[in-house]
Amino acid sequence: MKEHIAAALDAATLAGATYADARVVETRHERLSVRTGHVEGIESGESLGIGIRTIADGAWGFAATSDLTPGGIVNTARQAVALARAAATTASTPVSLSPVGCFTDTWTGPCSIDPFAVSLDDKLALLLLTDDVLRVEEKVRVTSASMGFIAVRKVFGSTEGSLIEQSYVESQAGIAAFAIGDGEMLPRSYPNNLGGQAVQGGWEAILALDLPGNAPRVAEQAAALLTAAPCPAGEKTIIIDGSQMALQVHESIGHPTELDRVLGDEAAFAGTSWVGIPDLGTLRYGSEHVTVTSDATIPGSIGSFGYDDEGVPGQRDHLITSGTLTGFQTSRESALEIGRTSNGCMRADGWQRQPLIRMTTVSLEPGDWTFDDLVADTEDGIYVETNNSWSIDDKRLNFQFGCEIGWEIKNGTLGRMIKSPNYTGVTPRFWGSCDAVCNRDHWQVWGIPNCGKGEPMQVAHVAHGAAPARFRNVQVGVTR
Amino acid sequence: MNRSLDDIRCIADRAAHTTPADAAEAVVVSRYSALTRFAGNRIHQNVAEDDAQLSIRAVLGSRTGVASTNKLDDESIVRCAGAAAEAARHAPHDSDFPGLPQPRQLSIPSRTPLLLDAYGPSERAEAAQEILDQSAARGLVAAGTVAVNDTLTAVSNTHGVDAATHTDDLRATVLSMNGPHASGWSSYYGRDARGFLPAQLGSHAATIAERSEGAIELTPGTYTVVLAPEAVADLIDFLGYLGFGAKAFAEGSSFLIDAQGSRVVDPRISIYDDALSPATVGISFDYEGQPRRRTPLIEGGIAIGPVTDSYFAALLGRDNTGHALPAPNAYGPLPLNLEMAAGDTSTDDMIASVERGVYVTRFHYVNVEDPMRVVLTGMTRDGTFMIENGRLAEPVRNLRFTQSVLSAFSSVGAIGSQRQLYGSEGSAVLAPSLLLERWAFTGQTG
Repeated sequence: MKEHIAAALDAATLAGATYADARVVETRHERLSVRTGHVEGIESGESLGIGIRTIADGAWGFAATSDLTPGGIVNTARQAVALARAAATTASTPVSLSPVGCFTDTWTGPCSIDPFAVSLDDKLALLLLTDDVLRVEEKVRVTSASMGFIAVRKVFGSTEGSLIEQSYVESQAGIAAFAIGDGEMLPRSYPNNLGGQAVQGGWEAILALDLPGNAPRVAEQAAALLTAAPCPAGEKTIIIDGSQMALQVHESIGHPTELDRVLGDEAAFAGTSWVGIPDLGTLRYGSEHVTVTSDATIPGSIGSFGYDDEGVPGQRDHLITSGTLTGFQTSRESALEIGRTSNGCMRADGWQRQPLIRMTTVSLEPGDWTFDDLVADTEDGIYVETNNSWSIDDKRLNFQFGCEIGWEIKNGTLGRMIKSPNYTGVTPRFWGSCDAVCNRDHWQVWGIPNCGKGEPMQVAHVAHGAAPARFRNVQVGVTR
Repeated sequence: MNRSLDDIRCIADRAAHTTPADAAEAVVVSRYSALTRFAGNRIHQNVAEDDAQLSIRAVLGSRTGVASTNKLDDESIVRCAGAAAEAARHAPHDSDFPGLPQPRQLSIPSRTPLLLDAYGPSERAEAAQEILDQSAARGLVAAGTVAVNDTLTAVSNTHGVDAATHTDDLRATVLSMNGPHASGWSSYYGRDARGFLPAQLGSHAATIAERSEGAIELTPGTYTVVLAPEAVADLIDFLGYLGFGAKAFAEGSSFLIDAQGSRVVDPRISIYDDALSPATVGISFDYEGQPRRRTPLIEGGIAIGPVTDSYFAALLGRDNTGHALPAPNAYGPLPLNLEMAAGDTSTDDMIASVERGVYVTRFHYVNVEDPMRVVLTGMTRDGTFMIENGRLAEPVRNLRFTQSVLSAFSSVGAIGSQRQLYGSEGSAVLAPSLLLERWAFTGQTG
C-alpha cells in the first residue's frame, strides 16, 4: 500500500499539485440475514482502491480508481490535478489549510474475537435461533435478524510527510418483529432499528447483545402494539430513551454544527444550518443541561479513529457547553474560518470518495438523574423508545420523529402502552426545554452506520453517546 | 474508463462458469462517474471515480450464497466464486427458491451515447460557471452540481443468460440563495444532452429565489396544493418503495395486499414502471438478466399488482416482470423507472383554477410515518408560495406536511400535461405537476 501512496504523491506533484494526499483503502465485509424463518442472504465481499486529493492552482481536485497498476495510479493522480485546475477557473480565493503535525504512526481499533474467523454455521445458528423465538407470537407476521462485519485497513500519506496506517473491525447485529393487522404494520426492534447496534469490536460484541434473550420481549411488545392506545395529541412532557436521543442529537445538533454546512458547502443537497459563525460563543442552543461533545477517542465507538482522512489526530472537543454553542466540527480548510486548527472530523466513504466533515461520536453528556427518579418526577407525560421515522428541514430547525413504542406517565408512574408515538419541534426551542438528563449509568454510545451526506452520496459510520432525557411542552401525536 | 462492454461481458461469463457450485450467476457493473460541485459561486469539489464490481451468486440445490469483489484478475475471480459457493454450502435449503432464471429475449433500445468526452472537467466547469453566473449577476449565491455517469452492466448465468448494456446519464442541479430565508431550485436529469441548458437552469432557480424574498407564516392546516413535478416525483418514489414491490406484497405490508382490482386513487391516475421508455435512463434488463417491460401498477385509479423478480414471481404465482435488484438485498424487487401518466392541464392553468392554496416547488427529507397507508412527512423547500385568486402570491416559509399519499391522490383536481424526469444513480421518476384538493400541512420551520 505504501508504494501506491508514494507513486500517487510523486505523480501529483509532477503534474503540478502544490499539495496532495492519497489513501489506499482495503475493506472486507460479511453480512448474514434471516427473515421470517428464511435465510435471506449470506454475502461477503472485498474492495481495494486509491483516492488521490490534490490542490492545484489553488483549488481542490479528487480522483479515485481501483486500478492499482503504476499506470493506473499515475493517470488518476494526473486526473486529480486536471480536476483541480478546472475547478480553479471559478475560484476566487485559493484554498488554504490550517497547520497539522507530520505523523508516521499506526492505529488499530479494538477487537477481541475476529468475527471473520467465526464459522458461518455459528453465525447462522444464532440468527435462526433468535428468529424462531421472535415468531412465537401469532400476531408477529414478519421477523428479521441480521448481522454484519467490516474489516478496514487504510494507509494515508501526504506531501507534507505524514504516513499513517490504520485498521479496525466493525460488527453490527439486530432483530425486529413486525406485527401486522387492521391495516397497520408495527415494528419493534432490539437493540435499535435499522440493523441494530454497530460498534468497533468483534464477535464478542455480538454475543454481548444477547439477541435470543431479548427476542421474547421484542415479539411480545410488537404484538401488544396492535391493541395499544394511539398517541395522544397536544403539548406534553416527554422522556426520550437513549437510542432515540442519539438520533435527536445526530439530526438537530450533529449536522447543524458541521462547519461545511454552516459555510454553505452542502447547501444544494442536505442543506445549510440555522447556526452561523458569529454565533460561536454566544448562541443559546439549549438549556444549561445540554452539553455536547465531539469525540473520536471513545474505545469501541464506530466514530473513533487514530487520525481522520486528512491526517489530523482524533480528538475530543466541546460543541455545546451548558447550553451555549462553543465549537464546530471542522476540517483543515474550514477551521481557518473560525481561527482554529482542525478538530479532526474529515472522513471519506471508502477510497472512492473525497473526505467531508463527518461526525465522530457526538454526544449529549450525561446528567445527574436516575431513570426511575426521572419518571417519578414526571406528573403527566409520555416516555418513548426506539426511532421509527425521522425528518428535519434544510436548516435543521423543524424536525419530526416517530418512535416504535411509548408509555403514558401519570403521577410519576409508567402506565399504558402507546403505539407509534411521534413528536415535532423546532431545534432551539426543543433543546431549551430540556430540564433533565439521566446519569452515566444510563448513558451509552449508539452506532449509526448510515449517515448520508455529500454528492456523490457518502455513507458515514458515526456514533452518539446519550442517556434518556426529559423535555417540556413538546408537540406530540401529529395526525395520530 | 478503460473497459469495454465486451470486456465486462467476458468477465461476467467467465465468473459464472468458474463456479464450483451447481449453478451460478455473475453481475459486473463498471462505472465511471464525474461530478463537479459548486457552492458560494465557485467550484469547491471536483471529483471522478472509476471502479468495476463483480458479484457472484452460487447455487447448490436450493441453497444460495453471494460474494463480490472489485479485483477482476483471474485469481480473484476464482476466489470470489469459491467464497460464493462456500456461503451456499452453509445456507439452509430454501424450498421457495425456483432456481436461476433461464434466458429470455431481451429488447435493448438503441440509444445514442451521451458522448462523455463532451463533459470532461473543463466542459463541466464551463457549465457550472454558466449556471452560477445567473445567480451572481443578480447578487444571489448558487450551489449545485453537474455530474455524468457512464455505466456498463453485464449479467451472465450458467443457464445461458447473457445480457450486457451501456447506459449513461447527466444530472445538474442548482440552488439559488437569496439571503438566509429565500431560495429557488431547478434541476435536469436525463441522457439527452440537448435538454441540458445551463444558463436557463441557473436563471430559473435565480428567478424563484428572487420571488421567494419576504416569506410569510402560514397557519398549518389542510390546503389545496399545486405540486411541481419534482415534488410529485418524491411521492411516486415512496409509493414505489413502500407499495409496489413484491416483497412488501408477499409480507402483507403493501397497500396493494387487499386492493388488487380495486380503486385506490382518483381514476385519472395511472402509474407504470417502464425502463424502455425513451424518456428515462434505466437499463432494459434486471440484475438476473431478465427483460424489463412496461408494467402497470395503478391504471385508471385501479391497483394492478406488484413488480416481481424470479423468486417472488414463483412464490406468488405471477409473471416475472424483470425487477430484480442485485442479490442479496433486503428490499426484494422494486420499480426503478416509475412514471405517472400525463394529464391535460398546464401548471399555469392549475394555478389559475385555485382560489386559495399553496404552490410547492419541491420537498425535502421525506420519510415514512405509516407504510401501509403511505403516510409521509417532510418539508417544503426552495420556493413555496401562496396561491391567491388564481395567481402566485406571497412566498411562504417552509412547511411540514404529514399526509397519506393514497388519500392525497384520491383528491386530484388536475394532472399536468408536461412531465419531467428526476432521479439519480439509476433510479428515475417521470412526473407531471398535480393539483390536489386536500393536503395536510402540520408545521412550519422556525
